[in-house]
Amino acid sequence: MAYPTELWSLIGLWTGWLLMLMIYSYPLYKENVTYRFAEHIFIAVFLAINLVVNFTNVMRICVTPLLGGDLLMIAPLIIGLLIYTMLIPEYRWISRYPIAILVGAGFGLGMRGVIKPSILDAVVSTITAPSAGGLMDWVNFLYIAVGLLSSIMYFLLTYEHTGVLQPPTRLGRLFIMIGLGAYFGNTVLFRFTMLTGRAQFFLQVLKIIPM
Amino acid sequence: MSGQNIFERLQNIDRRVFYWVLFITLMVPFIYPIGLPVKVVKNTRDLYEGITGDNINPGDIALMNFGYGVSAWSECAPGFTVSAKALFREGARIVFIGAHYDVELSFNKLKNDAAADFAGKVDGVDYVFLGYFAGGESAIAQLATDAWTVYPEDHYGTPVADIPLMQDFHGWQDIAVVLSSDTGDVGSYFLRQWQGAHGTKLAEIGIAMNGSTDYPYYLAGNFFGLSIGSRGGAELEVLIGEPGEATTAMDSINASHLLIVVAVILANVGYLLSRRQA
Repeated sequence: MAYPTELWSLIGLWTGWLLMLMIYSYPLYKENVTYRFAEHIFIAVFLAINLVVNFTNVMRICVTPLLGGDLLMIAPLIIGLLIYTMLIPEYRWISRYPIAILVGAGFGLGMRGVIKPSILDAVVSTITAPSAGGLMDWVNFLYIAVGLLSSIMYFLLTYEHTGVLQPPTRLGRLFIMIGLGAYFGNTVLFRFTMLTGRAQFFLQVLKIIPM
Repeated sequence: MSGQNIFERLQNIDRRVFYWVLFITLMVPFIYPIGLPVKVVKNTRDLYEGITGDNINPGDIALMNFGYGVSAWSECAPGFTVSAKALFREGARIVFIGAHYDVELSFNKLKNDAAADFAGKVDGVDYVFLGYFAGGESAIAQLATDAWTVYPEDHYGTPVADIPLMQDFHGWQDIAVVLSSDTGDVGSYFLRQWQGAHGTKLAEIGIAMNGSTDYPYYLAGNFFGLSIGSRGGAELEVLIGEPGEATTAMDSINASHLLIVVAVILANVGYLLSRRQA
């Protein structure tokens, strides 16, 4: 991508650069008026875009077909509008119905597809020994199998974790700690990658490195 | 402060000093690239091979979901761009959709970064950009059974009935492969509503944070391939033979990781030494 030459693109580029610096002034210096200014702009723009996009969607998917003669579209429109009864205390109870429909549909949809990929395939994958492959495949297989069983045992709360149950549950706790540690590490690294993108942008706008 | 040793001082260092060091550390490799080699791992290679060669035919339709916003461009965009390039070079047609409000910006970036591959392609025939969809998992389930009700028109307002490519796309049975690149849960919606329900071929181009949760699905065969974060993007750039954004950023990312490793070691050594002295 070449460095922009059009006026509006240049204004957009430098505005983004300045707003980024304003936001970073908080961690790199301290809370200040420029940070708050940029923060408020961010929230306002986000809400504005959110509103416009959702309104456009309702018009496109529901209202336009309704006006075109698809009378069934009146149903989602009314159900959606009922959520706003939440704002009127005496009719607040009505809003429970659209929420119940949303939650019910969500659970129904989720359950339909979750059993195969998240339960059956996961169990089969865990208990199937590698038919080919090297030493690392076997190490991975054993690691996952032992980790899974001991972690599940850790959550067996019906029995006290003493006697025979003590070693596997302790091992399970270790596996859970390793898992959470890896997840946390990945989270930190993901944030750093995002920061890398900003560092690259910082240098690109100043033309220190090519865009 | 004067009575403290070096490790105690390091433990009490102002966080802002670390942030400055980190920010500078991230920038230096961009100015003076190191050029560390990128090793391609199996899950990334499986993804690439799954969308190239005998695994995809000219005319096949691929569904590509922008499940990331502008803030995650550095993580997701490189891998997603390489995938689009690879699919176009195999003669596949692509339907682009998005789960983020700012999907148009991400699509424009993709078109810009893969300009040479888009050059010979016709909008509406070889690819279509349907834009943002609302409704989360319900919308993705509906997309599998009746795509036209989710998208009565494309992002620019053209009715889908007037788009040649959309004549061949009505639901999951018309899609050869789904590639979803996500910072959130949208990939798991495709997993449940497309792969789980219909057996659709699915791959994830995810962020590093989700690597550990996505990987079991790759091992179980639910994802035929998996690209993890910027590193995955760099690996895909190696596979297609065109170093790009992710390859350039890898030196910087590696430098930041090294800094963290050093910081963790110093903090722990300092903690252990100060505890021993106490």
